[in-house]
Amino acid sequence: MRFLPISRFIETSPLRLLDGACLLVMLPLLLVIKVPMLLYMLLVFSLLFFRKRATGLTLFLTALAGVLALFLSLYGAFNFSGLSRLKLFVELLIYLLVIAVSLQRLTREINFYLIISPILLMALSLFFFHSISMLLYVLVEIFVLLWLILLHRMDGHVSQSLRMAALYFVSSLPWVVLLFLFFPRISFEHAAYGFRGDEVRRMGHDGTMYLDSKALLVPSERIVMEVSFAQRLPAADQLYFRGSLLYVDRGDHWEPLPRRLTQNSKPVFESAEQLSIYNITLYPTQKRWLYLLDLPYEAPKGATIDADFMTTVPEKIDTVQHYEATSSLRYRYGRATSPAVVEAASRIDVRRNPRSYALAQQIAQRYPDMQQRADAMAERFRAQALRYTLQPKPLDLHHSVDSFLFDKREGYCVHFAASFVLFARMAGVPARVITGYKGDLANSVKNYLIIKEKDAHAWAELLIDGAWQRVETTAFASKVSADRGTQSSQDDADTQGSLLLKKINLYLMYIKYEIETWILHYSHFRQMQLLEEARKNPGFLLKFLLAIVLLLLLVIVAIRVLRRPSCSDRVLCTMRPLLAALRKQGYEREDGETMHAFLCRYLDDFPQCREIAEIDRLYERIRYGGEDTTGAHLRLQEEIRLATIRSGRA
Amino acid sequence: MRSFFRTLVQTRRRVRQRATRYSLLVVILLFGLFLEAYMHNFNLVYLILFFLFATAFGAGVFGLLNIGELQASFDHAQRLYPGREGACYFRLSNPAQRFSWAIRLHCDEEVAAIPMISPFETQLVRVAITPSKRGRLQYESCTLQSLFPLSTVRFVLPIEQCLDTVVYPLPAGEPLQVFLQRQRVSFGEESDFDGLAAYSGAESLSRIHWPSVAKGEPAVKVFEQTGRRQKPVFDFYGAGRSDEARLSQLCLWVLECEQCGQPFAIVMPHKMLQSDREGIDAILTYLALY
Repeated sequence: MRFLPISRFIETSPLRLLDGACLLVMLPLLLVIKVPMLLYMLLVFSLLFFRKRATGLTLFLTALAGVLALFLSLYGAFNFSGLSRLKLFVELLIYLLVIAVSLQRLTREINFYLIISPILLMALSLFFFHSISMLLYVLVEIFVLLWLILLHRMDGHVSQSLRMAALYFVSSLPWVVLLFLFFPRISFEHAAYGFRGDEVRRMGHDGTMYLDSKALLVPSERIVMEVSFAQRLPAADQLYFRGSLLYVDRGDHWEPLPRRLTQNSKPVFESAEQLSIYNITLYPTQKRWLYLLDLPYEAPKGATIDADFMTTVPEKIDTVQHYEATSSLRYRYGRATSPAVVEAASRIDVRRNPRSYALAQQIAQRYPDMQQRADAMAERFRAQALRYTLQPKPLDLHHSVDSFLFDKREGYCVHFAASFVLFARMAGVPARVITGYKGDLANSVKNYLIIKEKDAHAWAELLIDGAWQRVETTAFASKVSADRGTQSSQDDADTQGSLLLKKINLYLMYIKYEIETWILHYSHFRQMQLLEEARKNPGFLLKFLLAIVLLLLLVIVAIRVLRRPSCSDRVLCTMRPLLAALRKQGYEREDGETMHAFLCRYLDDFPQCREIAEIDRLYERIRYGGEDTTGAHLRLQEEIRLATIRSGRA
Repeated sequence: MRSFFRTLVQTRRRVRQRATRYSLLVVILLFGLFLEAYMHNFNLVYLILFFLFATAFGAGVFGLLNIGELQASFDHAQRLYPGREGACYFRLSNPAQRFSWAIRLHCDEEVAAIPMISPFETQLVRVAITPSKRGRLQYESCTLQSLFPLSTVRFVLPIEQCLDTVVYPLPAGEPLQVFLQRQRVSFGEESDFDGLAAYSGAESLSRIHWPSVAKGEPAVKVFEQTGRRQKPVFDFYGAGRSDEARLSQLCLWVLECEQCGQPFAIVMPHKMLQSDREGIDAILTYLALY
């Protein structure tokens, strides 16, 4: 840009600039607009392209085509109940605006709504897109719109208007950042204002657990939630995100307790230490569970924690949820468990697994102490040489524990947890299955953790001496099948390169999460959190102020660079480093002194300086000898480089 | 940085700022975006809102820096006549290191557009003017104006040395040639010569004084105008029926005399104007201000 000739102009008519602005803001909307309306826009473009004169008849027919396209685009949804959907309503507004703008554009006259239409279309497009890519696109839109305005004001001067737009944009940044962070917010969530939300479907943890072929695990890299801890990440063996609790063994699957047994019960902690505060972004699951770290201590707003510390919300989660929660990583609870729940956690059909029952009874008789009994059960499982695999042979579901422990001896978390829970019940220890997610530290950066669908997990809880204890049942596997490593198909080829890619991907996810947290989902809650943190933590406040100061400094530097007068004279620009070097030696070019006279003055004092003589010759030839070629400039640059090196040594 | 703020403060004092109708548009957009952002908590809309606010706010600074350091003064004017388009020139210089864009020089209803002034550049800006009447022409409200950068604010920089010139009477009436012919006739008949001189043999036959030839002493007639170069003398009262017509006529003759390098004199009611003593412009100015 530095050497762009300042006379580089482009022809700019206000109509052309408006066309450019409209095209820019329409691009994302093309993903929303239905085909009939797209065809209508194509028709308008064709008319404009062929410079069709806008007669009354043309305008009438175009308006008619617009109404028809509008009708066909909204056909099916075009009723009052359909219009209660916010996005459909906005879509209708966009169509009306497109028709109005098209008709006005055909007349080739600029009026008020033609001028504001780019901003209106941009604002309407933001009803549909809230992603990071849209954030970047919005920044581009703002810059380009600013540039188009300046281009118009600066008579089509491309390089200077670009420079000015960049200057303007950069100097706006501190204001934008400060206003964004501190402008008072009220809304916590996207308000519907009587409009229904648009449904988003997503598969995930569903609260039941299948042991049959349905249980075939399909590893998925799909992200379920993102977690950001206020402090350091907990240890790997503490990253259990609690989902649903399963008590009832139906042979081929497990179910939760009937609702009548769990309702109106409150969670009771006997002790809760090592509290961990964290923020979660949970993607739509169409279920009511919130996944909190074991053991939930404080529920997010609007959610409830029941006596089993299962966290739910009243409505299905069909939009992205952002919530803060607190969990206790060292806890004790269970004494308040109701007898009905204990009874449900002890229920067993002894006839279905005779071999296991016999074994469990032996252990029960040998170890009257419940803790020792649990340890013995774990040892027994370890001794069975069980293999962890994601592609196990089907179990005999009529004798699932016997089949798992003595015949197939393989399975994954579901089979381990279900078998161990039933085995514990056979040994007289109340037990239940917990399903949820187990975080993998490999998917973490700093205090940020990604939970993917493949992290779905099941484990057991045993009621020992009046306290529920978590048991990681897959730890009993003595062998891990190769497919454990292929939980994701990519893991097979965990070469150095793919690990690096994975790490890069993780960092990108982290950056994405931070942008979403601090920009896209920034809210009153987050604002209050920021201010509270600043109030409580002087270190944070200091860091924050330093960041603002750094931003200001960066902006000032950018402004200084952009404000620097551009070189309109290429050869003089090439000479600048030499003039600066000679100035350091005390040789200043005087007013009215020609370059030749100046260089001769220097050569009088330093006649041995051949580079300067050569520079003088080249300068004269470029300037006055008609040799203004790139090759001549390159030679001049090289001579100047040599001369400045020499003057630096001197 | 300090000089930047000093410049800004200084220019802030010099430049008047007036909101345009586009500032109303910005307010409406800010309000609409605010509603959308606030009601739906759309952070991207907040971003646009804040960018719009920041750029609208920044327009003040950029606009001030664009126009604030410019220096303009009235330089000279062409000869202006009532009802005829003429031009006056302003000297416009940009002592700053930055370009100035989209400047318009307003003088009353006359406007000259200056798309760009480079750093340290001085331009002569031509403003087309069509005066309505003769006499002194003074514009006290010549200004430099700019809508740069966003058209939301009109920046107005008054020009201290404003237009102050004279509009001469509209040249009209009979051409000088006609006047001279008429004057020649009015000098008298063939017999109204001033005297006789000896015939040298080179004179025109029309100048031969035939009675002297008849007496045997060839002589030629000597006329007053042939004794020295003729200098027309325009009489104010003889130039027309009304003052305006007389002034227009005199103005025309003065301009024609200037064109052919003819010295002249004008007999005004209380003054004698002579072209060889006073300059043409001074004579025209006298006529203009009469």
